[in-house]
Amino acid sequence: MNLSQHLPALIVVVPLFFAFVMPLLARWRKQWCVPVTLGAIIFSFVAAVKMAFQVMNTGPFSYYMGDWPPPWGIELGIDYLAAFAALTITGVGLLIIWYGSKDLLHELKAEVIGWYYTLYLLLIASMVGIVITNDIFNMFVFLEICAIAACGIISIKESRDCIEAAFKYLVLSVLGSGAFLLAVAMLYMVTGHLNFTFMAEALPEAMALYPNNLLVALALLIVGLGVKAALFPLHVWLPDAHSSAPSPSSAVLSALVIKVYAVAMIRLLYLVFPRELLGMAPVMEIILWMSSLAIIIGSMFAIVQDDIKKMLAYSSIAQIGYVFLGVGLMSESALVGGILHIFNHALMKSMLFLAAGAFIYGTGVRKLSELKGIGHTMPIPAIAFCIGAFSMVGIPITSGFISKWYLALGSLDVGRPFFMGVILISSLLNGFYYLPIVVNAFFGEPEKAVAKPKPLPKQMLVPLTILSFGVIFFGVFPSLILGIVYRAAQLLLGL
Amino acid sequence: MPQLDSFLPVWIVMFPMVMTVVIFYVEQRSEKMRNALAVATSVVTFLSVLALYPGVMAGKIIEFELFQILPNLAISFRVDILSFSLALLSSFIWMLVAIYSIDYMCKEHGCNRYYPVLIITLASCMGIFMAGDLFTLFVFFELMSLISYVLVVHEETIEALRAGYKYLIMTIIGGLALFFGIIITFELGGSVSLSNPVPLISEPSNLAFFAFISFLIGFGMKAGMFPLHVWLPDAHPVAPSPASALLSGIMLKTGAYGLLRVIFHVYGIEFMQETGWTVILAVVAVITILLGSAVAITQENLKRRLAYSSVGQMGYILLGISILNERALMGNIFHIFSHAFMKSTLFLAAGAIILKTGKKNIKDLGGIGRQMPFTMFAFTLAALSMIGIPPFNGFLSKWTLSLGAMDAGVPFYVLILLISSLLNGLYYLPIIISAFFGEEHGEGHQHQSIKINEAPYKMLIPIAILAISCLLFGLLPSNLPFDLSRVAAEYLLRGGF
Repeated sequence: MNLSQHLPALIVVVPLFFAFVMPLLARWRKQWCVPVTLGAIIFSFVAAVKMAFQVMNTGPFSYYMGDWPPPWGIELGIDYLAAFAALTITGVGLLIIWYGSKDLLHELKAEVIGWYYTLYLLLIASMVGIVITNDIFNMFVFLEICAIAACGIISIKESRDCIEAAFKYLVLSVLGSGAFLLAVAMLYMVTGHLNFTFMAEALPEAMALYPNNLLVALALLIVGLGVKAALFPLHVWLPDAHSSAPSPSSAVLSALVIKVYAVAMIRLLYLVFPRELLGMAPVMEIILWMSSLAIIIGSMFAIVQDDIKKMLAYSSIAQIGYVFLGVGLMSESALVGGILHIFNHALMKSMLFLAAGAFIYGTGVRKLSELKGIGHTMPIPAIAFCIGAFSMVGIPITSGFISKWYLALGSLDVGRPFFMGVILISSLLNGFYYLPIVVNAFFGEPEKAVAKPKPLPKQMLVPLTILSFGVIFFGVFPSLILGIVYRAAQLLLGL
Repeated sequence: MPQLDSFLPVWIVMFPMVMTVVIFYVEQRSEKMRNALAVATSVVTFLSVLALYPGVMAGKIIEFELFQILPNLAISFRVDILSFSLALLSSFIWMLVAIYSIDYMCKEHGCNRYYPVLIITLASCMGIFMAGDLFTLFVFFELMSLISYVLVVHEETIEALRAGYKYLIMTIIGGLALFFGIIITFELGGSVSLSNPVPLISEPSNLAFFAFISFLIGFGMKAGMFPLHVWLPDAHPVAPSPASALLSGIMLKTGAYGLLRVIFHVYGIEFMQETGWTVILAVVAVITILLGSAVAITQENLKRRLAYSSVGQMGYILLGISILNERALMGNIFHIFSHAFMKSTLFLAAGAIILKTGKKNIKDLGGIGRQMPFTMFAFTLAALSMIGIPPFNGFLSKWTLSLGAMDAGVPFYVLILLISSLLNGLYYLPIIISAFFGEEHGEGHQHQSIKINEAPYKMLIPIAILAISCLLFGLLPSNLPFDLSRVAAEYLLRGGF
């Protein structure tokens, strides 16, 4: 049996399998948990890299689960977008859990740490599943796993805040899943297919017969995925959930989980629904305005926060707006910018959350006003935070600049400079809340807990350093990742 | 094989950058080494810029592309006569300031932060002047602006931090405006290279106008243009004096440089003459001149007064850009030189006074000329030059500017220059008069004989060189800055090729 043929399945199955092994290991050989988790994710990462090369060399390919060809079996479709997203998820996910292997020890009770790895592996597996599947019902299943696992890694901390936030998230997320399921049912009803490719073929015909059904399905899809992706005004659950969770959870939630739904929405909107249907209702227009509002209002909320993680969480609401802005503008450059921002924001935001986690780990302080002088006592996380902040503002030679460049170019391409104004204003607002933190960190005398922080273990410093290096690296050499993003955008737009 | 020349710009930018890292490591061992390295770096940079002289004067344009970040978007370098002039000026003054800093900063805290920042700002400044496309210019512009924040807040007082915050926010706004302008240029012209044989934007449109306004905001913010000057009078005085000299003397000029590039390379002179958009620049320049000079009179703090004076003087430069003819351009470029020399003399002299006596307010400066005759003499030379009295270089630049204004048929501008000179006189002369003839304030001082108490010679020599340059470059009918300005003006009017 040739193993490399089955990579699309294995990339999901391996973490899934080890997720279920983990509780056993936690009882039997506790010290094995971390290496096994890391090993499983490294395997997925390597598989994702290999798939990305394969896609770049020979074009998109599909994989039939159990050799059952569609429309009966489940098809995994590895196109450019899927390979790119899988790469992002496994790469960033790996760094986060590496960091988490130390950070969790102080945030969680000893007996639940094994469970954490289970949930984390489930989360990674389901996220990869969502992006590579070519079957809408399969996608729904992964969405559910992802939602449950995400709630799990929030509520595992067992503090009042976490449980409350997780409950709020669960309720809204289930609402989203419900909407999604209804949409799936409606699509199945009118097309008789669950596979994306077959659905796309059947839809133009079905559109003439049941236009209203399809519009409702579309609306349900956008709302369902919008809730999960925290697209304004469906974002209400996010700030609590992302700020109260343990730092690695916050990082993975903000950096990856909300992006996955964006990827799902991109695939459905561009690959499944025919253009004429999108023309019947101003769907893209709605997405554009929602994302503009998200960008501006998310940034504004972030300005008034005093809790570092809450601020980062609000900032994520604004940043997911960028991704959807790229989706809504319907031009090549903008779509490239939006997709690229999935990757760039994953890097930046996980780095910022991990840096914030390092501050909390070292000093126990999470109020911005008390973090004065942290740059003197914890230089590496503070410098990482600084780089992240610059990238958020969009200073050149950081990766944030590149995604802004493409988004702005895209908005000019379609002749709507207004949205470029939105991007610029939000960059300015980002400056308002990120830069004072950086300034405070480096110019100010450390006091109390900040003056004598706990030293950070290597397992936390190295991922942070890699991420901050990555932010600069992909700002100077974006062409490495742009190749696949460009092709993804061209494929989606049918160019 | 490309000639050695073409690597020089990269070397000039990279060398100080690398040295920043070296200094950063050395300073943990030895302070002496750190100071020596900082001075050596600036000297070597100056000499490297000087090495470009023969090639550039022969009319060669050195171009070098480092690498492409995105298609059509590269980090590239390009040295023409204008770049060379400003790079030469900046590295020269940087060198003097680095020497001056050794004694000035020895009593300050945070020198280990100051020197690396000083040198990396030099690198980014060189990068701005030698940028081969707007994107590279933007990268270095942001780098310089953000890093000089550290210079502004060096004292870490509440005042400094507050001024720094204002500076930071304005910098971000300016940077975003530039981003806006550059991306529109990219969209309309398909490239942001400065070596395009034809201007990048050739047809007036709403977008082109937006871009012009954005460039005006982005670069004008840096140049202290009204109404975006608000950060300047706060930020410049709170910095340590050598840093103020650089901020006022050199870094303001990067804004003017950017505007020159935008007007002559992005739009082209015919475009500007047809559309008349430079009128906007002229109007704000006139307001800037009058406002800067008038507000300077009311300032009590010496360095603050100097900072407002910078606002006024930058107005001259902006006005010179807006007139768009040869003599005005020549005057404008020469004024970049003049003002750099004058203002750094003044700030360095003010620094010497602060170091020796701790006096920052003008009313305390009575009789200071007897205590520090040498410093105050240099101050006087520069101040007279500011007012525009012949034979100083300030006179020469105003004269050329006025001729340019007459050529363009706008005698009104000459009137503005005269009024502003009068105002300059109103705020500079009282300082000088009271310094030499006034009584020292305070008790117990009246009957003491005043001892000469000058700053160390490492501070005096840079001041002296700068002050003498003010005189020299006005006195000699043909000197290097003037020639450079003339050639650069001709070159720009030819379309920059």
